[in-house]
Amino acid sequence: MIIVIKHVKAGDFSYVSHLDTMDVLHRTLKRAKIDVNYSQGFVKHMLTYATTPIPLGTQSVAEYYSVDCNNITPEEFLERFNENVPQDLRAVSAVAKPKNPNLAGNVTASDFLVKCKNIVPVEIEEIMDKDSYMIDLTKKGEIIQKDIRGMLFSIFVDGKNLWIRSATGNTNLRIDSFVKHLIKEYNIETTMNDITRLAQFVQLDGKFVGVDDYLKL
Amino acid sequence: MTNELKDILLQVERPARYVGGEFNLPDMQKQCKERVCMCFSDKYEIGMSNIGIRILYHMLNDMDDVVCERCFAPDLDLAKLLKEKNMPLFSIETKKDLKEFDLIGFSVQFELQYTNIAYMFDLANIPYYAKDRGEEFPLIVAGGPCSVNPMPYADFFDAILVGDGEVNLKQIVELHKELKDQHLTKEEFLKIAVDKVDGLYVPRFKNKTKRAIIQDLDKAYFPTKILVPNCAIVHDRSTIELFRGCANGCRFCQACFYYRPIRERKVDTLVEYAKRLMDSTGYEELSLSSLSTSDYSGLKELVDRIKKEADERKVKLAVPSLRLDSFEAEIYEELNGASLTFAPEAGTQRLRNVINKNISEENITSAIEGAMKNNVKNVKLYFMIGLPTETNEDLDGIAKIAKEVLWLHKKSGTSKIINITVSTSVFIPKPLTPFQWEKQITLEEMEAKQKYLQEALRIKNVRYNWHDAKTSYLEAVFARGDEKLMPAIIKAYEKGCVFDSWSECFDFDKWMEAFKECGINMDDYTGAIPEDKVLPWDVIDNGVTKAYLLKEKHLAYEGVTTPNCMGKCNGCGASKLGRCFE
Repeated sequence: MIIVIKHVKAGDFSYVSHLDTMDVLHRTLKRAKIDVNYSQGFVKHMLTYATTPIPLGTQSVAEYYSVDCNNITPEEFLERFNENVPQDLRAVSAVAKPKNPNLAGNVTASDFLVKCKNIVPVEIEEIMDKDSYMIDLTKKGEIIQKDIRGMLFSIFVDGKNLWIRSATGNTNLRIDSFVKHLIKEYNIETTMNDITRLAQFVQLDGKFVGVDDYLKL
Repeated sequence: MTNELKDILLQVERPARYVGGEFNLPDMQKQCKERVCMCFSDKYEIGMSNIGIRILYHMLNDMDDVVCERCFAPDLDLAKLLKEKNMPLFSIETKKDLKEFDLIGFSVQFELQYTNIAYMFDLANIPYYAKDRGEEFPLIVAGGPCSVNPMPYADFFDAILVGDGEVNLKQIVELHKELKDQHLTKEEFLKIAVDKVDGLYVPRFKNKTKRAIIQDLDKAYFPTKILVPNCAIVHDRSTIELFRGCANGCRFCQACFYYRPIRERKVDTLVEYAKRLMDSTGYEELSLSSLSTSDYSGLKELVDRIKKEADERKVKLAVPSLRLDSFEAEIYEELNGASLTFAPEAGTQRLRNVINKNISEENITSAIEGAMKNNVKNVKLYFMIGLPTETNEDLDGIAKIAKEVLWLHKKSGTSKIINITVSTSVFIPKPLTPFQWEKQITLEEMEAKQKYLQEALRIKNVRYNWHDAKTSYLEAVFARGDEKLMPAIIKAYEKGCVFDSWSECFDFDKWMEAFKECGINMDDYTGAIPEDKVLPWDVIDNGVTKAYLLKEKHLAYEGVTTPNCMGKCNGCGASKLGRCFE
């Protein structure tokens, strides 16, 4: 049985790397005395699965973590998990699935909210009207130019808030790189810690379906 | 956390080290009268691995009206940004300026951390010398193993806590809290404290100080709900301390004599601690810690009982500090380890007798044979070079032991490849050891011996590692140093020396410049010391008497060993401080 939890990664934990967060979650499962299944290789490890990590410094209210475990209901899992996890990683929901929904492979997009200190220029929305959009990205220490237009699904400006839906998963747009570009090009005033992942999506029949709904299918 | 600090943390490596929020964090909002900051003069991943810090941090937070926070030496990238932004060093829990605390306690672990004290004071905008600090600054004290000879760094601090922190740190915090309403000056407070706090050395009073001791370790405070870091640290596991002190009396070893008298915890107590720690931390590993774990009287029973609990929780047991002579293959078999670490320390029986490492060739052979039966694939062997009376024959003995391991492996008939790692450190004459009067070999001699061993250990499947000669030399200077060295510490820091124990940061040339500019000859501190000379640390009574150390030194030159004192007391003098193992 797989229990999939949706958890936050906020506050102090936004400064904790993905790999360190995985260790924290493993220890949480041990403290919570959840009967987790282990791999059967030489170095045995817990069978747990996370979705694409968010960049260091950014926050999230929609991280998904799947745990291969036994003899527990989602409600009990949620209660025991939250009693044993640091507050800034607390879970908000849990569902049981007969097999691993492979969210890491199936998630294709995320919604991000970027809170700014100034009014965000609406011209940013015009990026969506373009056929291509080049930005500087750092790859293996080198700055490269890349067309990211295909990785942007929507941009919406609302006063001091900027809403972005972008590619996540096997094709992934690093939201921090894109926001740093916007800071430079459009003079928005924000920091990486003001970026929050609000939701993750899978694509079914060409439509984005929120992971919460996908897990109900 | 301020927005400015948030921005800064996004520009540094591993910001998780500075944000706190670990599981099992004590209540920082509780009503308190005394706010303490515990500082550790190295990075988070080192400090959080330290069992002493774990014990004392939770002990203080469990006291009424006391809140204790932490501060570790920030990495160079954060320090640079703090300086640029003119922001002071802050505590992890509430991001408070260090100057706002009532009391600051530094744990000073070893000599190469001395510049980090200056580094942390500088970042906190605290004057280096206690005498230059007004009443607006907190009371700043230090403790830890370096208090065996605090003279080189003593002037940084208002007071030095000598001995078990569970006793005297608690006493000084309690007293400071009690007298807070009287608004005493630091001098007035210290005059009272010096009579009421055990093992309190006040540099400005130069008072004779007797080390503070926990009389009954089994009843001493031990936390079982400890902080679980959010990022990887060096010793990422929970630890139980089996006993304090060591009965073996290796003549070079400071810890052995410093932590005496020998005091054990009961097996029942330790099993209970182990269960609670495994449940409250979720760590994958539990370490049974002490200076010489296999000397613990109930080790077999303890391992049997804890192993059962650990297996149920899928927790791995680690048993460090095993001695060759008391190595029990069956214990190792229980732990199913893939690597084994032994420290014969010297290559020949003659030299092992000199240093009182009471293990024989037969002990080594039988221990390795036992390990081979348990399919050990990696053997690590630790030795020292530059020990008193050492010759090339002793160095050849190191290679001989490595070859012996290979031969025993071959004899065992296993088809698996074995990897042997031989590591050598350089002998450093340390205070409170029988070798405290000995000279350290010169840098040239160290390098020559290392080169000799590189040749001797050119053997298939054997790797040779050696400790840097220059850091060993500097460590020796400070180990037996006096008050005159404090300006050199500050001068070296001002020249950029910091994190001296990290090879990428160590700059020996700057150290030499600093000593030269302060008019100090480093060699004056590494030579042999006449036996009748008054030593800088004579003001500290650590229990073991000078007469005993001297007797041991003379026995060393005669090649006569002194037996482990578990069976019969050797009269070292430590028992006068408290109950010794019987």
